[in-house]
Amino acid sequence: MTLVEVRDLVKHYAGERSWFGLGRAQAPVRAVDGVSFEIPPGRTLGLVGESGSGKTTVGRTILRLQEPTSGKVLFDGNDVFGLDAARLRALRRRMQIVFQDPYSSLNPRMTVEDTLREPLEIHRLKGAVAALLDEVGLDAAFAKRYPHELSGGQRQRVGIARALSVEPQFVVCDEPVSALDVSVQAQVLNLLADLQAKRRLTYLFIAHDLAVVRHIADDVAVMYLGKIVERAPAAEIYAQPRHPYTRALLSAVPEPNPRATSRRIVLAGDIPSPAHPPSGCPFHPRCPHPKKSERCGTEAPPLRPITPGHLAACHFAEEPM
Amino acid sequence: MDDVSFDLYPGEPLGIVGESGCGKTVTSLSILRLVPEPPGHVLPGSLIEFEGRNLLALPAPELRAVRGNQIAMIFQEPMTSLNPVFTVGDQIAEAAIIHQHVSRAAARARAIEMLRLVGIPDPDERVDHYPHQLSGGMRQRVMIAMALVCHPKVLIADEPTTALDVTIQAQILELLDRLQHELGMAVLLITHDLGVVAGHADRVVVMYAGRVVETAPTEALFERPTHPYTAGLLAAVPRIDAPRTRLHAIPGQVPAATAWPPGCRFHPRCPYAWEKCAAQEPPLLDIGMGHTARCWLVTEPERRVPRR
Repeated sequence: MTLVEVRDLVKHYAGERSWFGLGRAQAPVRAVDGVSFEIPPGRTLGLVGESGSGKTTVGRTILRLQEPTSGKVLFDGNDVFGLDAARLRALRRRMQIVFQDPYSSLNPRMTVEDTLREPLEIHRLKGAVAALLDEVGLDAAFAKRYPHELSGGQRQRVGIARALSVEPQFVVCDEPVSALDVSVQAQVLNLLADLQAKRRLTYLFIAHDLAVVRHIADDVAVMYLGKIVERAPAAEIYAQPRHPYTRALLSAVPEPNPRATSRRIVLAGDIPSPAHPPSGCPFHPRCPHPKKSERCGTEAPPLRPITPGHLAACHFAEEPM
Repeated sequence: MDDVSFDLYPGEPLGIVGESGCGKTVTSLSILRLVPEPPGHVLPGSLIEFEGRNLLALPAPELRAVRGNQIAMIFQEPMTSLNPVFTVGDQIAEAAIIHQHVSRAAARARAIEMLRLVGIPDPDERVDHYPHQLSGGMRQRVMIAMALVCHPKVLIADEPTTALDVTIQAQILELLDRLQHELGMAVLLITHDLGVVAGHADRVVVMYAGRVVETAPTEALFERPTHPYTAGLLAAVPRIDAPRTRLHAIPGQVPAATAWPPGCRFHPRCPYAWEKCAAQEPPLLDIGMGHTARCWLVTEPERRVPRR
């Protein structure tokens, strides 16, 4: 059983035109290029990638905050992209988002109470602001404050309370802790885990930090240049990554252990532009795999099962590195 | 920040770790007297000694001869630290022309050499590029090239990789390691990331609320963190090698710089604090082997029992 099912999601942005919009259009930016996954109820999928990987676009397109280019999203059986405005609004109550930047995602002119009351009024729901604040670990006195009076961690708690106010089943958490200090980050991650257990929430947890994802996700999908290159249960992907990109990403995380005897794989080069993705396997120009061959530059490897439940898009996923 | 003291030895990679608002950036800016006055002011009695000279007492022309020449700095955000209307070559060459009075042609050759040193492909072409034509990782390499052009003895790197992706961060850290070894330069690495100092510093200074709370050789700090803040911070870091568990969180938040608590500045968040901690601030107490901590637990270790 799944709550959220994403099938072949594609989102392209039209290329910019030079000459004040009159010139030839540049190549479209393929932000998301055929992404599929499902999330069972009550579970967390960690969606990991670096800048330009398309992870944020996936989250926003699923909620139809952006219109897709093609593909399908089923939420509890409803075709999200096929709904009219009224039905979409009704569905929105069940799927919410927590944004990365707690500084720009709260209206500076609204008190915490106004911010939390607004979604309740829109959806004609009864709910107590005090109870919500309590649930996210804020004192009731915060209701009268404005965002500028709050610390980053407190703002993010308000952002979480706002998402929870309409009692959703599914929450997209878009880098919810990456703007926070380490000690506060731990508080917010624990809060998200507690709320999930208490409310049986389903999360799509978008992050660039594999260590953070390890502490919250049941399953992990790794994106590179608009495509999922590996997807597996969390324990599996951390113990036995199959895609060379995942391996490099894991080895690049700085470990707080001076004796870590990790064989660090330092990738050469930059992340290519999603407007001009490389031919064949999008990762092949940076790939450190010893078996890398001409085939990688011509033939895009499909995302295929390597072991049951563990998918990777690499011609040589079975080979040791 | 007040009463911050530490030593940096020739060729040493030293880490300064702390969260936002701990004073680590102000510390680094003060070394080169880059803190605007007012509102900032350095208290009398402060001393920043560089090779026997007090930088705080140096007249402006002599200070300028040190700044960017013998002590160089790189910043967190490479896009805002580079001038968008000059080529990267011009910006790298500028310091060489000012400080070392080399000709334009020689400075340009030096810029190309520096770009090659920091691992930028096709340096002969890149030298004429503008910052917007480069990726974030490339820009940070250019910043490093700018800082290194005069062969400084000290490089201050303030969160040099925070704005970068993980795989690019790994490249830049590896580059800094290599340059520090090859050029025998002291590196002051300022970061919020304990993972970064673990792999790239020999000694670490931990700051909290404007104070140095612990200093130690890197291995000792990670094996025997003594200040409860250091221990709490270490436990709060999500670990890639640990199974999915609840993270240890430090309750509360860093106090504002206008409202430091009395006594030990960490005591409202400390699981071991007792009356003495609220009344009297501990000095940096010596634990031996170059390890110090600003905590009364050093003198009363039997109190290391959580009260909640």
